[in-house]
Amino acid sequence: MSGALTLLAIGLLLIASLGFLLRRRGSEEEDSVSWFADENLAISSARFGDRCKEQLDRIFGCEDWDFIRSSTSRRVQELFLRERKGIALSWLSQLRRDARTGMHLHVARVRASEDLEPFAELRLAVDYYTFQAECGLIAAILFLGGPMALRGMVGRAESLSNSLRGILEAALKPEAFSQRTRIR
Amino acid sequence: MEQRPNQPIPTTVEDGLRDLRNRTLAKLDGDFARLIYLASTRDYNTGRYAHDGLSFRFTESVAERVLAEAHREVFVSLALSPLKILVTQLEQYIRSGCARPDELVAAWRELEPFRILPPEHDDPITVELFISNIRVALAIVGASWTEERRR
Repeated sequence: MSGALTLLAIGLLLIASLGFLLRRRGSEEEDSVSWFADENLAISSARFGDRCKEQLDRIFGCEDWDFIRSSTSRRVQELFLRERKGIALSWLSQLRRDARTGMHLHVARVRASEDLEPFAELRLAVDYYTFQAECGLIAAILFLGGPMALRGMVGRAESLSNSLRGILEAALKPEAFSQRTRIR
Repeated sequence: MEQRPNQPIPTTVEDGLRDLRNRTLAKLDGDFARLIYLASTRDYNTGRYAHDGLSFRFTESVAERVLAEAHREVFVSLALSPLKILVTQLEQYIRSGCARPDELVAAWRELEPFRILPPEHDDPITVELFISNIRVALAIVGASWTEERRR
């Protein structure tokens, strides 16, 4: 019984969040035209997606750390771990920013759409908040576990990056709205 | 511009890139030297690239695109290469072109002039990774110089 109530509460929370997002963008409908024009520029992971794998290998992989550990002093090792932690956090915040931008673009499109698909919207909202929660979790691991927690996180980072791609694809799918929107 | 009768005039960016690689970049010692050279062909006030030799053989706009593309290529290759390779490249650059390597390392650590090496509008994470790797590489190279001097 209490499980059902919890699920119901989560569902209501998600619907309320979606409603809030839709309303908040209401006053910015005019801006959405320029958003559409710049959407590829606004989302950096879409522009530089081709180097994502190499980038993650560098930031989260063990190769550089193995080199540093085997051939440098403790001071250099500390510098390296501090630097990598900073980059990992920057990468995470860029991912979150990209997801947020994608959702803003999507909400602007949805507002101009004549027939809304509540289930698809709900699924997208769930994916978006799950993604944000995962980003938060990785950031917490980095903060609490220190730089050492970075090692071997490449798989997790890669799956997070793929999740973002999925969210952006779903949010910015052109055929979903082009035929049903008021914006021409 | 003087035209040779039997040779077609190269006009595309690909031709220009080939020309730049063969005539200029191949003569430079290592990717780090190439990156510094390419970044220096950019006017820091306007962000535009200029190269007399290329502009002579191609149009000015082709020359500019060639330099921008070559700059981006070399930058990405260095920024995403393993740290060990970057350290080797940096060491090679310092050894080949500097009379007082210890002074260079100290000035670079203090002033961080390498921040102007990335091309404009590149991925901020790649740029950050490059700058961070240079900082670490300088610490490694600096330590090895100090050790070498002690011996």
